[in-house]
Amino acid sequence: MAHETPGDDFAYDLRFQVVKVMNQLVMVIRLCQGAQNAWDMLSDEQSQKHTTTGSGDLNDLLGGGIHCKEVTEIGGVPGVGKTQLGIQLAINVQIPVEYGGLGGKAVYIDTEGSFMVERVYQIAEGCIRDILEHFPHSHEKSSSGQKQLQPEHFLVDIYYFRICSYTEQIAVINYLEKFLGEHKDVRIVVIDSVTFHFRQDFEDLALRTRVLSGLSLKLMKIAKTYNLAVVLLNQVTTKFTEGSFQLTLALGDSWSHSCANRVILYWNGNERYACLDKSPSLPVASAPYAVTGKGIRDDLHTNLREVDATEQATIVFLYLNMWHIIHSQINTVIREKQLQGGQLPIGMDNS
Amino acid sequence: MRPPGPTVPSAASSSSYSQREPRPENPLLLLPSSRVTKLSLGCPLLDRLLSGGLPAASVTEIAGESATGKTQLCLQLALLAPQSPLSASSLFLYSDLPFPLHRLRRLAPKSRPDILDHVLVAAAHSPTDLLSLLARAQRLLANPGRSPHRLPIRLILLDSVASLFRADFDASPADLRRRSALFFQISAKLKELAYRHQCVVVVTNQVMDVVEGDAGNTVAWSSGRRVSPALGIAWANCVNTRLFLTREVDGDGASGGARRRMKVAFAPHLPDRSCEFVIRRDGVFGVEPAER
Repeated sequence: MAHETPGDDFAYDLRFQVVKVMNQLVMVIRLCQGAQNAWDMLSDEQSQKHTTTGSGDLNDLLGGGIHCKEVTEIGGVPGVGKTQLGIQLAINVQIPVEYGGLGGKAVYIDTEGSFMVERVYQIAEGCIRDILEHFPHSHEKSSSGQKQLQPEHFLVDIYYFRICSYTEQIAVINYLEKFLGEHKDVRIVVIDSVTFHFRQDFEDLALRTRVLSGLSLKLMKIAKTYNLAVVLLNQVTTKFTEGSFQLTLALGDSWSHSCANRVILYWNGNERYACLDKSPSLPVASAPYAVTGKGIRDDLHTNLREVDATEQATIVFLYLNMWHIIHSQINTVIREKQLQGGQLPIGMDNS
Repeated sequence: MRPPGPTVPSAASSSSYSQREPRPENPLLLLPSSRVTKLSLGCPLLDRLLSGGLPAASVTEIAGESATGKTQLCLQLALLAPQSPLSASSLFLYSDLPFPLHRLRRLAPKSRPDILDHVLVAAAHSPTDLLSLLARAQRLLANPGRSPHRLPIRLILLDSVASLFRADFDASPADLRRRSALFFQISAKLKELAYRHQCVVVVTNQVMDVVEGDAGNTVAWSSGRRVSPALGIAWANCVNTRLFLTREVDGDGASGGARRRMKVAFAPHLPDRSCEFVIRRDGVFGVEPAER
């Protein structure tokens, strides 16, 4: 094998060793702290294409958050938090770019009347409090182009449509293309909920299926064309199949093929869980989450993992001895090189 | 492939609205400071439980066993509406016959003999009956000028939705589907009225026993039974807020009565919490836990 200079080889080994130790250290610390905090994730480059849900565990489940250019269906029983999550996403999409968010606006199509402004205000306040906590040097005063960190500014950047019938729902989705062409800063469209008005009696069921397919195709096209996330909240129903009643998502057959991602929210005892049921790239998995006064957050009760004494001791040892460990790794590499009879780069011997 | 075209809806509900281009609303304008959006229950403790009272443009369900205070609360609300900042008449749709006129008269304040003028009542004998009543209500709400001596209707009460579905439906899958479709039709109508005219809508519901199944937020203990609101998950999808009234029978019976609790089962704007209350001659009032 040819190497440029002996130094390259050496430097590569050294870097490799240091990186290995650092990675192990970070891994152990993370293991003991629990899953990555949602705010830590925002510093990743990938965050530009996702909207954070407010819960690190949920973000992990979804591969970073709700993806732009894709349609995500979120279903669950009444009261489990669908609307809460929808509102949280409509707020979080607005997190300015300098804080790791998309800095976009939201379209919220409310078909059921669950959008309670006082709650949206509360969630906006919670989001702003978290921003200020994680970026303590930011100010509430805005500089040019920066969004003011006030709840009112978050509210005003949600384009809210209230629709009362399925014809209005069709009209507004048809109108969206024109609207989004005029408002290019929208990065998320939430429909809460997408099937409510279609669950009445339709004389012509074939018509209903055609209409729903047409709507779902349109929404997929919108997501891709305007590079935004489409989130469809759906209700749960009992379906009589094979002699028993089972819980499924409403109108699933007409709908299910058009959503790239599907998340089911459910209760496990007294705790809320989300299950990623369908995804183009991620495995089926579950994660807990909580609905707090500030909005959707991690479920802290399940995150307080029991760190046993050995793990704790290891962390402390590693942390205190980090430099010593790196230094000794360097020495190991140096010794190996010397044994091999290779040349050390200038200045590397014993210093 | 033929592009999908919706049929014109038979009920002349929203045809005029959907011909206009959709326009987004500014959520800032929907903030409570901009308009009166809550109907107080007349008791500060219960109002605190509900963050101010029952919200307008929203359907609130009050579920509970019989004699837990549902009808009493409805009557109380009908009498409070004209006196509250909402300043409204109420439309009381009842399916539990007969209408409790005697109780209403007793609850009415002596200082306002005209208050019963602001309570409109109508009997609903079946789901289709209710739908035609709601269509009439829509015309009434759209033309307030017709009856200038009466306050505009901004409170709609339905007592109770479960009684409407007792007859005519057995447990076969086809009938359950038919029943569910009616739930959504009724709910869509109520929500449309609530939104277009900024009404407070209250629907009462009965409970049924549940033997097993996960807890979540829809099961509670009442009078020693494990119960859940009637009409299942389909109807649960049709309401915005669910309040659960329960009754705990006191073991020692020292206080001479049952402890009653109003619990927020789910609501888009409220945390899960509960409050004790009592039913007195003059109405339903919250009490502090220490008080009895």
